[in-house]
Amino acid sequence: MRRARRWLLPLTLLLAMLLTIVPLPQPIAPWRPHWLALVMIYWQIETRALRGLGQPFALGLVLDLLTGALLGQHALGLVIINFLVGRFRNRIRFFPIWQQTLIIGAVLFNDRIVNLWIVGLVERGWPGWNWWLPPLTAMLLWPWLYLAMDRMRLAWRTGR
Amino acid sequence: MNAPGRDPHSMVPAAVAGTARLMAYALLAISLMTLDHRGHYVERVRAQALQLAEPIYHLVDLPFRLARQLQTHLLRQQILANQRDALTTTLMQLRAELVQFDDLQRENAELRARLGVAARQRPGTLAAELAAVDLDPFSHRILVRRGAADGVVRGMPVIDDLGVLGQVDRVLHHAADVVLITDPDHALPVQVQPGGERTIAYGSGAFDTLRLDDLPMNTRIEPGSLVVTSGLGGRFPAGLPVARVTRVQRPPGESFARAEARPLAAMGRNRFVLLLRPVEMEQPSQPPPETRSEIETHTETGISADAVESGTPDTTDGTASDADEETA
Repeated sequence: MRRARRWLLPLTLLLAMLLTIVPLPQPIAPWRPHWLALVMIYWQIETRALRGLGQPFALGLVLDLLTGALLGQHALGLVIINFLVGRFRNRIRFFPIWQQTLIIGAVLFNDRIVNLWIVGLVERGWPGWNWWLPPLTAMLLWPWLYLAMDRMRLAWRTGR
Repeated sequence: MNAPGRDPHSMVPAAVAGTARLMAYALLAISLMTLDHRGHYVERVRAQALQLAEPIYHLVDLPFRLARQLQTHLLRQQILANQRDALTTTLMQLRAELVQFDDLQRENAELRARLGVAARQRPGTLAAELAAVDLDPFSHRILVRRGAADGVVRGMPVIDDLGVLGQVDRVLHHAADVVLITDPDHALPVQVQPGGERTIAYGSGAFDTLRLDDLPMNTRIEPGSLVVTSGLGGRFPAGLPVARVTRVQRPPGESFARAEARPLAAMGRNRFVLLLRPVEMEQPSQPPPETRSEIETHTETGISADAVESGTPDTTDGTASDADEETA
């Protein structure tokens, strides 16, 4: 458990950041899910590793820096996500996976609204309908991500 | 697993404290965003922090770079030969055009000398490849694989083969962050071609639109007019194509007309861009007279814009026929 946290946690967070800026072909690019949020939610639900709000804030700032977004935009989003997930963690944990997926979708949808508010406020052009695609992709990916990360974490804990 | 044991104690205070903490962080994030957006106070901190984060960009970019190299190694010789033939043909064509252009330039320099106006200098260029990194689409920025190590400095104009793209904003060691002319914070001094009216092109936040605000109501700008850089401000050389006007509005009840223009450059969808080395930087010995003469140049072009600088194809025809008449 301890070891899993020490290595697997930063590794997966870094991987999520890389996936956020890795170039995708033009038609798929709007479907890119909020990787960092997904990974963060997993750790929060399963291990409470990121239970404070300071860590998501810092992670968000790094993401803002990397993507060239307004400093604080992703930070605010991640803090809100982490807060919501932390609040309902005890319930979400024992939901069947499809119900979990719905909750994750709702949380990420909410995150898009927060971001829309920011983007609209600074007049960066009004996004089109594909603004709302990432939460859908995230919902499609969540069960697989959840299983894969669970497998990885347990293997790390028991195996080596 | 041990955590639930702690929870029941602090159930009520934790909820309140949690909300308070959320509020505090939200406030912090919002004030940070305001500072970043309004005052650009955090720009320096951001530039420093970006230097630290630069390895992440290269980490993402690396596989794509390797793949490209591998691709060039594995490309069939036949394909390469074909490409080379095509390139040679284009090069020949461009050279032939350049010969005519050289002649024009000589003529232009002569005319300018006769008018007592400083000669125009052609800026040096630095080709750069876009890095395989996707930045936030709402940030209107692209990343290129050239940085301080290649002599990139802040403020260098960036163009592609069609028009002006933007300018270098943040310089990293082996990469640079280019802000596009469509960024809402970007303003570019321009001149609209038939007529030579000078104005400023603002980014609109949409990749296909620039705004030309505060035009006089009797403006001669109309859809189809070519927008080029005016060279005022001293950062962009004069005469680079920027956009084509798509729409002119004269809102009733307002005192200024407005126009929208569509940028000519491919806004980062192509693989290569050119960074322009500013001419002034190579000869820092006598800046004051140069700036003055530049202003003179602009008043001069203002008057004779139709005759001298109304787009290259026209002038070529015009001068060619003039020359013919003279010889005949």
